[in-house]
Amino acid sequence: MSTIAPQFRLSRFIASLFDIIFWVLLIFSLVGLPIVFIILFYIKMPIVNHQLLTPYLAMTWMADPSRTLPIIKTLLHTTFFHVVAFPGFGFAALLAAATIFVERKFLAKIQLRVGPLYCGKIEGILQLMGDGLKLISKEIIIPAKADKPIFWVGPLLFVGTAGAFVSLIPVAPGWVVANPNVGLLAVFATIGFFPIISVLSAWAANNKWTFIGGLRALHQMIAFEIPLILSLLSIVIMTGTLNLSQIVESQQHYWWIVFAPVSAIVFFICIIAELERVPFDLPEAESEIVAGWLTEFSGMMYGLIQLGTYLKLYAFAGLFTVLFLGGWNGPMVWPAFPADIVTQGITIGPITAKIAGLPLFDQDMLNGTLWFVIKTVGVILLILLPRGVFPRIRIDMLLHTGWYKLIGLSFINIFIALGLLYAGVLGPGGLIQ
Amino acid sequence: MVDTVFLALSVLTIGSAIVALEIRSLIYGSIALMITLSGIAGFFLLLDAPFVAMFQLSVYVGSIAVLILFTVMLVRRELIFNKIEDKRRRYAGIGLMLALMLGIGMIIIGSGMKSMETNSPTVDYKKIGADFLTYYSPALIVMALILASSVVGALTLARREDITNDQRAD
Repeated sequence: MSTIAPQFRLSRFIASLFDIIFWVLLIFSLVGLPIVFIILFYIKMPIVNHQLLTPYLAMTWMADPSRTLPIIKTLLHTTFFHVVAFPGFGFAALLAAATIFVERKFLAKIQLRVGPLYCGKIEGILQLMGDGLKLISKEIIIPAKADKPIFWVGPLLFVGTAGAFVSLIPVAPGWVVANPNVGLLAVFATIGFFPIISVLSAWAANNKWTFIGGLRALHQMIAFEIPLILSLLSIVIMTGTLNLSQIVESQQHYWWIVFAPVSAIVFFICIIAELERVPFDLPEAESEIVAGWLTEFSGMMYGLIQLGTYLKLYAFAGLFTVLFLGGWNGPMVWPAFPADIVTQGITIGPITAKIAGLPLFDQDMLNGTLWFVIKTVGVILLILLPRGVFPRIRIDMLLHTGWYKLIGLSFINIFIALGLLYAGVLGPGGLIQ
Repeated sequence: MVDTVFLALSVLTIGSAIVALEIRSLIYGSIALMITLSGIAGFFLLLDAPFVAMFQLSVYVGSIAVLILFTVMLVRRELIFNKIEDKRRRYAGIGLMLALMLGIGMIIIGSGMKSMETNSPTVDYKKIGADFLTYYSPALIVMALILASSVVGALTLARREDITNDQRAD
């Protein structure tokens, strides 16, 4: 008698198999076939490999991997995939989630603690999943005297604005969701929405802590937005374009941080202040005003705000990489795909899969993504580092830093850039091309 | 497509402008004002001027609307203005506005601008910059002087004499 399944009967097992087959057939004929016909009648399907993509053709392709590849390749270049998965939301959310976990472990190691340890046996690797499940399952509590419409919409708008910001960041050559000619201005327009959302949701919660936090957030973000914009003007002067992809392409030989180190420092400080991170975390100062403008958010509303904050962190780090650290440029380290696999398919022992055109992404894209991710993760770690080291500064010091020192400093590099341009070092026809 | 977007933007912009004027809550009024200003940015996008649209968003929504919101939140409503309820005044205002709009609309329709050109290329911001530095340079200088004088004025207002040095922030 088996100890794993003491009640085991072979007849029942076979009966359950038949049961499953029956239900699969029933559901397929009642749901699957109508869906196929709805798609056939109402949805205009794309033409893949000179053939109209009908659901029946898609099913035959499912049986043969070599026929599935064109569908997948077409899917990879649709706007839907760009927005949902790779350069857009999915990629950014993955990096953001990794950032949350790495931040906790990293700060713990700095301060000689252990950090998350128990979830998932190995160094608490499942802590994030546990936190997410907790946030989803918690009740959403709305304060009785809150302004409900604004309070509900606030977290959604925050995530939406952060997603709009993420969509402007080019990851690899040609891999960007939105590539407007005025990309940098679009970034400025997008980050202008964050203080509005924070102060409105802070006001809507009808709580003195949230309101103080919201006003602090407004003060801080507006004070640091001006040096942020001014510090990027030197890059625009040197490249002569506002398109982020073109700014990356202009850094093939040297990074702009070489010519604009002051701008890079000013921009980095402004990033930390815009993200409300230590030492500029006054809007969320937990030892003074509970959690600042996030105090009244509970459950998944708080989760959405956290998601938006970390998406914003990724987007700012990516923007720093794009503007100062050369974006996707770097030496080619990704190995070339063997030519015989591309044409012949893979042969492993007795199994031979003849799949032509296998590499879904070309070498440039993979190499570019690798370098972009390495640089961005480095910048993210630099942004996280002050949290383990510095105390919070006073609000008057913060405003003084923003309005006096950083604005003054950001002008220095504008003049350096103009000097380089007029001396004929940079720009069209300059010494360095 | 363009006509649909234009109509939707018009409804959004004018509707939220009316809401901004008529609603009792000042916060909602300022939110409606933000939607109006964003709608105008949408019109600029339709007119193939993304440069102006982005500046509309970052200056009007990102700064001026925030300033209005800030004022509304921090100052008590009775201190800003007291509302005079007057039906006749409102109807006179609506009538005046309708007459003005009709007049401008007749002029525009009469001038032959009846449809939108959608295939024209995007306005190049480099050309705007070049124009500003050559043909429109007097206007640029005047604008720079106005901005400089306003900055000096703000600094003068911020430098209060009645605060002694140990009370000062830093």
